[in-house]
Amino acid sequence: MNVATLASPPLAVQRGVLGAILLVLCWEGLARGLHLPSYILPAVSDILAGVWFKRALLGEAAGYTLLEALVGYSLGCLIGIVLAVAITMLPALRGVILPAATAINSVPVVGYSPLILLWFGIGVASKIVMVAMAVSFTVFLSTLAGLDRVDRRAVDLMRGFGAGRLGILWRLRLPTALPLLLSGMRVSTVRSVIVAIVTEMLGAYGGLGWVIYQAVLQIDFVQVWSAIFVASAASLSFFGLIGFLERKILFWT
Amino acid sequence: MSAGSAALSVDQRGTAILPGWLRKTARLLLGLVIAALVWEGAVRLLGIKPYYLPRLSAILAAMAATPRAYVDGFLRTLAETLIGFAAGGAFGVLIGIAFFRLRALREMIFPIFVVSQTIPVIAFGALVVLWFGNTLLAKAVIAFYLTFFQVTVNTLLGLETVDPKQVALMKSFGASPHQLLLRLQLPTALPHIFVALRLASSLSLVGAIVGEWFGDTTGLGVLLLQAMYTENVVGLWGALLASALLGTGFYAVIAAAERRLVFWGAEQ
Repeated sequence: MNVATLASPPLAVQRGVLGAILLVLCWEGLARGLHLPSYILPAVSDILAGVWFKRALLGEAAGYTLLEALVGYSLGCLIGIVLAVAITMLPALRGVILPAATAINSVPVVGYSPLILLWFGIGVASKIVMVAMAVSFTVFLSTLAGLDRVDRRAVDLMRGFGAGRLGILWRLRLPTALPLLLSGMRVSTVRSVIVAIVTEMLGAYGGLGWVIYQAVLQIDFVQVWSAIFVASAASLSFFGLIGFLERKILFWT
Repeated sequence: MSAGSAALSVDQRGTAILPGWLRKTARLLLGLVIAALVWEGAVRLLGIKPYYLPRLSAILAAMAATPRAYVDGFLRTLAETLIGFAAGGAFGVLIGIAFFRLRALREMIFPIFVVSQTIPVIAFGALVVLWFGNTLLAKAVIAFYLTFFQVTVNTLLGLETVDPKQVALMKSFGASPHQLLLRLQLPTALPHIFVALRLASSLSLVGAIVGEWFGDTTGLGVLLLQAMYTENVVGLWGALLASALLGTGFYAVIAAAERRLVFWGAEQ
């Protein structure tokens, strides 16, 4: 995808922008032309005005949600990477951790939200735990796939020169795993924000999910859409940030 | 215990007569029995409070006491998941083919698809329930929304892996675009499509469950939410077990279909 867009930037970007403009025009035209009530589809201009009008509220909520997502995301990445490395270093653990992780993951992650809310209360902790759970499994699987991708002969060569397990891990396995690990981390960014919002809607003291829930209760659908726009922008910037770091770290690809 | 010994005897016969799927099933059953015993034993021995983790036997007893609610919820959620999955899968493949054929269309719409996936489902859920009413259809639409993107991306990826030399060969024998698609491009893309379908099977279940949170009377999502509001941890675990059963069952069916259809096993 990246290569394709790099190879032909002007046309692809032009068409992308054109598509977005067409969508906005159709949306605006449909909402204004048919006089759709705001509970069906508010006009884009009304939504953007709503975002501007409620910028203090939405900004604060977005900060709250992003904080939960970031903390949970970091924790989840850490847990996923540590577990994958532990399995690689101590193969005996594989038989225990892998089935356990698969069993836990057989329930869709949002299914745990009610349980986690009961355990950790409706404060920030429950959202962080949920995000960490959602992120850690993806990162765990992609790290494990990356660590297993190592060339057997390269390992044997390093052993032949007297490298220990840690040396092989640090100098060979981790660098080899990095592309897959980072793409797993990039995919998890959007998920972390969504899971934070989903959990907030079931019970919270603040955040975008809470704002959306309140707006639904008050039948204020311009505000629902405003919060959706802000949430989407927040996920995209988080995604962009991790993508940017990925390109910086993987300078050789 | 009786389940355990049954699994063992199946295992012995399995190695003798049917070494293939029967032995796998037996191993799966054995694994499940061991997991169940560990769960039951750990809770009893370590004295874990039922508030955190109830005994498995207590959960199963609670499920057996009110089987109606679980069976109804299971079937309802299954229907929503299946409709959303089927619609999302079909739409994803069609759009993938359209994007593959029409580059301009793809460059115009694909970025919008990407952005659409950053919208939290649940926010969308409130709107969908408003648009379609509190019906089975509304939940299926949410499942569809979560499903189609993955299938579109992988269909496109798969179609692009087709060897141009093979296309040139078929064209030189006078194959029409239609034949090219059915005989070469789709079969080549099939392994990729199935990877997406396996992912989509769990995503569509998420969509169905979350959709039910916007007010419904039956479904596994409803059971989860009701159990949370009444702080009924046993009921919560019951609903979780039922969703796990639905999720893994659906995934297994898709994986089996994959093994049957992609018999040449290009991936994994």
